[in-house]
Amino acid sequence: MQYKNYSSILDNIKELLPYLSLTFQYVLLALLFGFIFALLLAVMKLCKYKVLRAIAQIYTTIMRCLPSVVLLFVVYFFLPKFSREVLLIDIDDVPKILFVVLTFALFLGGFLSEVMRSAYQAVSKDQMDAALSIGLTPLQAFIRIILPQAFYYAIPNLANTVIYLLKEGALAYTIGLIDVMGRAYQMNTLSYSVYPIPIFVALALIYWPLAIVIEQLFKILERLMNPIKEDKKTAGQKLKGFKAKYLGFLVQTPKGGAEK
Amino acid sequence: MLTLTNVHKAFGSNKVLKGVNLTVEKGDVVAILGPSGSGKTTLLRCINFLERADKGRLKLGEIDISLKHAHSKDVLAVRRKTAFVFQNYSLFRNKTVLQNVTEGLIIARKIPKDEAIKIAKEQLDRVGLSDKYDAYPNQLSGGQQQRVGIARAVAVKPDVILFDEPTSALDPELVGEVLCVIKALAKSGITMVIVTHEMSFARDVASKVVFMDEGVALASGTPKEIFVDCQEPRVKQFLARFNNEIDYNI
Ligand SMILES: Nc1ncnc2c1ncn2[C@@H]1O[C@H](COP(=O)(O)OP(=O)(O)OP(=O)(O)O)[C@@H](O)[C@H]1O
Ligand SMILES: [Mg+2]
Repeated sequence: MQYKNYSSILDNIKELLPYLSLTFQYVLLALLFGFIFALLLAVMKLCKYKVLRAIAQIYTTIMRCLPSVVLLFVVYFFLPKFSREVLLIDIDDVPKILFVVLTFALFLGGFLSEVMRSAYQAVSKDQMDAALSIGLTPLQAFIRIILPQAFYYAIPNLANTVIYLLKEGALAYTIGLIDVMGRAYQMNTLSYSVYPIPIFVALALIYWPLAIVIEQLFKILERLMNPIKEDKKTAGQKLKGFKAKYLGFLVQTPKGGAEK
Repeated sequence: MLTLTNVHKAFGSNKVLKGVNLTVEKGDVVAILGPSGSGKTTLLRCINFLERADKGRLKLGEIDISLKHAHSKDVLAVRRKTAFVFQNYSLFRNKTVLQNVTEGLIIARKIPKDEAIKIAKEQLDRVGLSDKYDAYPNQLSGGQQQRVGIARAVAVKPDVILFDEPTSALDPELVGEVLCVIKALAKSGITMVIVTHEMSFARDVASKVVFMDEGVALASGTPKEIFVDCQEPRVKQFLARFNNEIDYNI
């Protein structure tokens, strides 16, 4: 094999950057499908049927207790086998990225449903009462009054979710996906591990600014919606409360969420 | 104009309303008094279907429906003919003061936006908030918020406005400004039902006083009939402290 020189961090960054597009693809797709799935689960969690609530809750707990790389392997190795032997459909040609998207969509379903549920419950009950009392239909009240406020409460957790996904997504290289992480790993192999430091520092220098930009964007969003904040004290306490309660489980909370 | 008959409501085994009857004529200002937990708030919420009663009828204009089985179409009709002023203001936090008032006009009553804004500004001026159109609720004092709450209710030109203790969440020095606004509304002939613990306000402003206790309307009549002439022991006992205070003042 040709011996490669990867000693320049700057060159490595240039080499890696194009592979970021694949990373963006699975992050966005996983967010999209995860969001839709989470919406379904959140509705189940808030509905009046005990069985549906229990199913959604059990699902969330299972996802919560599973390392994402395990789920990735299950999806990647089990699904094609299952499909071939039980459904008699050959899905071996399906691009690897779809397995990554599916894995993280399944994962985010549980994660985001919890974010949605807690955000919905953080909106005071009286907002719905007031909206109904002035003659809005329940649907109008939900869309115009409840949802914007719930969204505000969800922002810090959404920021966590996106950053979490960006980082966990790096595991996709384990099934051979050549995204930005996969490429870095490949480069390291191609150069017989002579330049791990310039290669992985370059990778870190790509991930860092990205995470910071995402974090800042959400902070700006939160500031724009600031009027919803109840009053400085109670809103802070409320958010702290539900963060501690519902978010302790998955991520080490990246710095800078709701509370200043 | 508004008639409630035999309203019952229980929360689990806790029977809160046990057959309440209430009649409100056009132009009436009805004050509902009574000890804490007697079901005053629950009664108002049942009228607006924020709570579903277990039994009872409601007549409002041509609408005559069961409080328990009313269809969502009728519920909406009742809500659009009534308005509610909440104890803790309950302004929409994601809307400005002006939007709080226009929301019910534009969305619920389909009034064109320009006209809605004009109506909203008129009502806000009337409660003395002409400089706060673009403020958000969390930037206002309690008294200001409650005045927005009142403007929001009045703007939709309801047949009757339901007030649930509109001043009891306010600091004492802010109570006056809100009572003033309500007093002015009463003079203008708007029909109102007000749950309140402000005895002297009830005595001076109400055209009719209803005393609720243990889930029934125990006594009702003119302020004089309730405050001075009523022989019902529960009412006398409840009013004793208030009446004594007056004696001291004299
Ligand atoms: N959503 C609810 N769920 C369960 N119980 C309730 C609910 N709302 C009210 N209650 C109960 O109903 C009873 C009457 O409450 P309500 O708020 O109507 O009294 P009130 O006359 O308005 O009292 P106050 O003067 O303190 O406001 C209370 O015992 C209360 O605990
Ligand atoms: Mg009450």
